[in-house]
Amino acid sequence: MSPFTLPWGLYVHIPFCQARCTYCDFNTVTGMGEGDHIRYVEALVREWSGEEIPDGPMVSIFFGGGTPSLIDPQLLAQVIQAVRARVPFAAEMEITVETNPGTVTDDKLRILREAGVNRLSIGAQARQNAHLIALNRIHDVAAIDDTVRMARAAGFANISLDAIYGLPGQTMAEWQETVEGLLRLGPQHLSLYALIVEAGTPLQQQLERGAIRLPHDDVTAEMADWAEQRLTDAGLLPYEISNYAQPGYESRHNRLYWQLEPYLALGAGAHAYVEGRRWWNMRGVRRYMEMVEDGRDPMDNEEKLSRDEEMREYLWLGLRQRRGVVRMEFQDRFGRDPVVVFEPAFAALNEQSLVTVSPAAIQLTRRGRDVANVVARALVDASPSEAHS
Amino acid sequence: MDQQHIRNFSIIAHIDHGKSTLADRLIETTGTLTSREMAPQVLDSMELERERGITIKAQAVRLFYEHQGETYELNLIDTPGHVDFTYEVSRALQACEGALLVVDAAQGVEAQTLANLYMALDNDLSIVPVINKIDLPSAEPERVIEELMEIGVDGTDAALVSAKQGIGIERVLAEVVEKVPPPSGDPASPLRALIFDSRFDSYKGVLVYIRVTDGQIKVGDRIRFMATAKEFEVTEMGVFGPHPLPVDRLSTGEVGFFAAQIKTVQDTRVGDTVTHADRPAREPLPGYRPAQPMVYSGLYPVDSQDYGRLREALEKLQLNDAALTFEPETSAALGFGFRAGFLGLLHMEVIQERLEREYDLTLITTAPNVVYEVQLITGEVLRVDNPALLPPAGDIAVIEEPVVEANIITPSDYIGAVMELAQERRGTYTNLSYLDNVRAMLTYRLPLGEIMYDFFDQLKSRTRGYASLDYQLDGMQAADLVRMDILLNGEVVDALSTIVHKDRAYQKGRALAEKLRDLIPRQLFEVPIQAAIGSRVIARETVKAMRKDVLAKCYGGDITRKRKLLEKQKEGKRRMKSVGNVEIPQEAFMAILRVDEQ
Repeated sequence: MSPFTLPWGLYVHIPFCQARCTYCDFNTVTGMGEGDHIRYVEALVREWSGEEIPDGPMVSIFFGGGTPSLIDPQLLAQVIQAVRARVPFAAEMEITVETNPGTVTDDKLRILREAGVNRLSIGAQARQNAHLIALNRIHDVAAIDDTVRMARAAGFANISLDAIYGLPGQTMAEWQETVEGLLRLGPQHLSLYALIVEAGTPLQQQLERGAIRLPHDDVTAEMADWAEQRLTDAGLLPYEISNYAQPGYESRHNRLYWQLEPYLALGAGAHAYVEGRRWWNMRGVRRYMEMVEDGRDPMDNEEKLSRDEEMREYLWLGLRQRRGVVRMEFQDRFGRDPVVVFEPAFAALNEQSLVTVSPAAIQLTRRGRDVANVVARALVDASPSEAHS
Repeated sequence: MDQQHIRNFSIIAHIDHGKSTLADRLIETTGTLTSREMAPQVLDSMELERERGITIKAQAVRLFYEHQGETYELNLIDTPGHVDFTYEVSRALQACEGALLVVDAAQGVEAQTLANLYMALDNDLSIVPVINKIDLPSAEPERVIEELMEIGVDGTDAALVSAKQGIGIERVLAEVVEKVPPPSGDPASPLRALIFDSRFDSYKGVLVYIRVTDGQIKVGDRIRFMATAKEFEVTEMGVFGPHPLPVDRLSTGEVGFFAAQIKTVQDTRVGDTVTHADRPAREPLPGYRPAQPMVYSGLYPVDSQDYGRLREALEKLQLNDAALTFEPETSAALGFGFRAGFLGLLHMEVIQERLEREYDLTLITTAPNVVYEVQLITGEVLRVDNPALLPPAGDIAVIEEPVVEANIITPSDYIGAVMELAQERRGTYTNLSYLDNVRAMLTYRLPLGEIMYDFFDQLKSRTRGYASLDYQLDGMQAADLVRMDILLNGEVVDALSTIVHKDRAYQKGRALAEKLRDLIPRQLFEVPIQAAIGSRVIARETVKAMRKDVLAKCYGGDITRKRKLLEKQKEGKRRMKSVGNVEIPQEAFMAILRVDEQ
């Protein structure tokens, strides 16, 4: 399969938020109004009109943020229509909207569903109001339940929920309560993330001041291990380091990222990747809008991966998935067998019992999943062997 | 200049009592430099000296001063301000006839005031007492005068000065002329000039700083260094005003420098005597001894590729530093490096900092240790400067370690606390005397190895910063010492071996194992840490295996950033040393120094 026929997707960044969560370092803005939303979406549509369409089947649109569910759903519908006007959708087309439980109504969800959105990714994060308040979330636990109920009523059959563990002051019992509470909502997909303390966030400042404390690393590790077991028992299988799904409900969009398949991107700060080239837009929302309105390319910067770099990224990203790196797929894409190309690295990782190499695939072992960064670090600058003709 | 119109003097003071500021004022007042040219502390020319506010190398400045209608040549010879450089101070003082004894009007007499005073008296210098910082609200000149009397200096007519405000400077200059005797050497005798400092100049070779004691020296003279027996021809001479000014000769009593195409300061030892090759003096000036390193440490490049660069850098530093020694050394843990000898811990830190800063090297330095004299049961005597090389206990008859005599001046309220500290560090009490009714001086004999690292900090913290310390080496002394090894994952890490007193081995071993447990990051597997004496394990800790090391999130907008993060982490790991599969960060090799910290 040549890269020209790889399936591809589109990421659409909606940066608006009602309030900023303490841990968030994404490209978000608060305090903008409906007029800005309309103007921004016009810019998205205009940016889209200039995009070069890849050859393969389009399989996904993902509205991320920010808080896409904050703005008028008709605006998201406009974007979907504009996309559809240029590209035929594949049968398995996945259209996801990231949703904050504090921002939805029955009507909003119905309009999204009618516009073709078929997957909601709902940020639940925790099921203790004290934690939600501490994180500066704009919703409470009841709103999570209401959102899921409304989504089902609106016809959504593919619902994903996000939760975070390792929160300041969080206990194992609280984490179990969160997971159990979310399981009772019957999601098709769950994303469970270890809290990352990003530089410059309010969370980081609170920790620095000593106002809050994180659980011990070992406790956080226990939380991850417990949840993996619990979700597996519930039929939600870990198909990636932080992601669980009922079979068949794995996120198509996120698989594009982990399999280094092409994705275009619209909006402020959004990143795109096609054939070894990665580029991203200006982060500033106003600056982005002005550039697009002036008919200029809002691109901020780009990087071009060499063939070797592309192979390495394919490997350390691909290994995040439970299926691992399928050797034939790598061979189809790069023309060589990964185990041969990176023989010393894989031999060492195998020796350390961090990966297993079978005729079909390279996969992380259980220990390898715990310390996936050790594997990734071994691969980020591994030297490929020379190709033999 | 007529010998009767020359005055050679130094300024001696406890640290921070204002020596450098006073020197600056003297230079400014005599018009040697205009105030526009004055950078603070003009005498401290090395960048590091200014940053640390200490004087590392001595310099000399010639000042012209008119007193009662006659012009005098005043040579101000600066002295290093740290106990590591005591020998250099004593040689600088030997080049003088007098010393300004500067005492802070608020702080009073401190340990270094005394140590410097005694050294000046040993050299028969005339003492000119100066009470500085009289502008401070807390100044108590009367009390300071009393303290001066107590230490044997007539302080009743001490100059009251504020170097900062420029008060009393003229008076100080007048006293230098009146109280410091002119040099007494014989112009007709064969040349004898004392080397009190030297410094490497990349254009002229070594600049040798001398004080002419007898005879005279001219450009073109063939000279000989009496201790090293090296001969050179003088190509250039000068004095500092403080900018270098060329002269064609230096006469009896004068101070200046010469150059003679000398490639390394190793040839021009401080304290050595310069004489003429064709008409040599019969006896050198007294007091020369070769520089003797007291503290040793292993220096290893983090990147083994840098070994050659490290050697070159050490060689270059040695051109200008006769006290620095180094020899190649191999460590099973750290690879190829050098065992370097230093005068003391400050000297060591300065060298390490210069290697990293000026030569852009990243180094792992092992914990410093003193040098031990080991007598084997065969009667053979070894000098051991690396703990890993201490012979097995069964072969050793006696181990001797260097000891110092330490004088500690403290408010009498803290005598108990100071004594407790000295006891903890295996000190032997020798004396207690009182400077006045609130301050006392304690004298102890202490092992150098026990005081070289944090003793001073401990002393300060236990006396609320009031105590001051000075010490001088006082020979070797037998002690019940053993080598303590550290095993990581069952393997001895030679660079972590230390020599400790038997009675403290257990406690130190436990503390060190705990410290290492905190410093060594979790690895893929569990890492046992053991402290052992011989084959006996005296402490054990475990670094638990890393549970998780995984990026929770990695999506499209994040991949570049996450990849850079992984690359950076990898770079960080490269800066660690891998010993038997265990990655050890740089700080771990200094852990022994920190086991006493709480």
